[in-house]
Amino acid sequence: MRALVIAAALAAAAPAAAGPIDAPGFTKAFSCSACHGRAGATRADAVPSLAGMPAWYLKKAIDDYAAGRRPSPEMEPFSKMVKTLGVDEVAGYFAAQPREASQIKVDRTAVVNGRAASATCAACHGEDGRGDAAKGTPDLTGQPPGYLLNQMKLFKAEKRSPGDATLTSIKVFMKSLDDATLADLAAYYSSLGR
Amino acid sequence: MARMTRRDFLKASGSAAFAVSGLAGCASMGGAPTATTTPSELMPTTGRRVIVVGGGWAGATAAKYVRMEDPSLEVVLIEPNRKFISCPFSNLVLSGVRSIGSLTFGYNGLREQHGVKILHESATAIEPDTRRVRLDRGFLSYERLIVAPGIDFQTEQIEGLAAAGDRVLHAWKAGPQTVALARQLKEMPDGGVFVMSVPPAAYRCPPGPYERACQVAWYLKTRKPRAKLIVLDANQNVISKTALFRAAWQAYPNLEYRASSKVVKVDPEAREVTTEFGDKVRYDVVNVIPPQRAGAIAVQADLVGVDKRWCEVDHVTYESVKAKNVHVIGDSTIGIPVPKSGTIANAMGKIAATAVVNLINGRPAPQMPPANVCYSWVSDSEAMAVVNAYRIDNGKVVQIEQKLTPGQSTLYAQHATAWATSIWADILA
Repeated sequence: MRALVIAAALAAAAPAAAGPIDAPGFTKAFSCSACHGRAGATRADAVPSLAGMPAWYLKKAIDDYAAGRRPSPEMEPFSKMVKTLGVDEVAGYFAAQPREASQIKVDRTAVVNGRAASATCAACHGEDGRGDAAKGTPDLTGQPPGYLLNQMKLFKAEKRSPGDATLTSIKVFMKSLDDATLADLAAYYSSLGR
Repeated sequence: MARMTRRDFLKASGSAAFAVSGLAGCASMGGAPTATTTPSELMPTTGRRVIVVGGGWAGATAAKYVRMEDPSLEVVLIEPNRKFISCPFSNLVLSGVRSIGSLTFGYNGLREQHGVKILHESATAIEPDTRRVRLDRGFLSYERLIVAPGIDFQTEQIEGLAAAGDRVLHAWKAGPQTVALARQLKEMPDGGVFVMSVPPAAYRCPPGPYERACQVAWYLKTRKPRAKLIVLDANQNVISKTALFRAAWQAYPNLEYRASSKVVKVDPEAREVTTEFGDKVRYDVVNVIPPQRAGAIAVQADLVGVDKRWCEVDHVTYESVKAKNVHVIGDSTIGIPVPKSGTIANAMGKIAATAVVNLINGRPAPQMPPANVCYSWVSDSEAMAVVNAYRIDNGKVVQIEQKLTPGQSTLYAQHATAWATSIWADILA
């Protein structure tokens, strides 16, 4: 009780209520919300949610974009900017945000079909689709279906991480699937965690 | 997150005008209620107050972020319009690809989610010496002021434009003029000539006029194949995404682009515009985008530089170089190597809000650079983009890199839509 009273007194005396401004990385990450949503929780379909993304994966993505290994005319300059600001703080900020699954509607039939087609994916991304840091595979669950579909198409067209030998197997797999199946897989993984 | 009391809500909600005039009435009861009475403080401060003048991309963002970052601050946003209508994507209204309703939003999110008090009135003057903003009915005091007045048109620079009134539209502030111009385009006969003018830089949204040319040309190509678009550009060349627009226009043989063709006169009787070299161009529908300067209140408050057009600011705090405790953001600024874009306005809103919150709390403002992405729609389904990344070097904003998409695509159009969805929420929700 006494502790509570002291805490209340301290709070009242503080010059500014502790708001998000005091969260490490908040200021360095707030440019990102223009495309990725508040605190990285996107409401859009074609960009990934960053909220709750493990720091190791966000840092890898920033490194790959900045170096041109993952070609993106939009993300390459911004990744260089994030690196000048401090990628550790930015990645730490997003990792600490509550994960929110995409609200973009997915077709139930597509989800069922996608689940049936997902066995190969599960070998690397896990049965639950949550990814595996040891294998370097990201969590796919709850990401917007449009973003997931576009990434698969980019792999298929050798436009995402072109020439990266460690990703040969996923590209071969994507090339073996038609676009309708890719859309089913996107719907399935997006539906997980909702 | 930001809690509002019922009293706050009443003051800030649609009944603001009633509540405020009630207070003003009470205040004047003690004195002589004559026309010469010194105007009174319209709302007693409930604490430390930040006023934001202008509820567009920069101002609305700033109002929200000040409250998000320090809920102990009172924020009053002064914005005459009751609805926020997005300029980005409004060229798609001309081509019928989007409705104006899909670009129209209310300010309820700022009120109800963030506790921003909103007055739908016009600020009439800024008084930095007394830290007051004047409205018709009185004044409001502030600790720090954020001015985001956008742009106004230098109508006087084009002969006949002021007298033409609504017969010659700019449609460069999204709203009724956008809808009216879309109607004129729709009603134009096949075989007609649509003439649009591009103002000399600097103006709001550098790629905007060229995107508009794409949208009008796409509409004519698909709906009025015998009609023609003539673009009269005051500049020597396309000033943004030059090669990309030139490439996109290959699909529009109905588009005739004339560089160095500044429109200096418009005659709605003769349906004719005249360029500075004396060329006369007849039109069926005309869209004159006039030369621009900072919003009138910034000019009146002498926040503009010697050119009397734009406001110079500190690159870290966005405090005016001409007035203490007054921060200027958005399209009305100059001197920072950034375009007058929606993304930049949004970024400036966040950075200035953070600076204001820190300075009011006696802390230094963090050195945060803005970031920019501008998408342009070249048809109903394809878009392209320019991206700019920045850093702060010795207190100045410096560009790290500018990059263009290699061309136009439906993927970039998806990204454009994602950007719009996200940034509208970042400003208002």
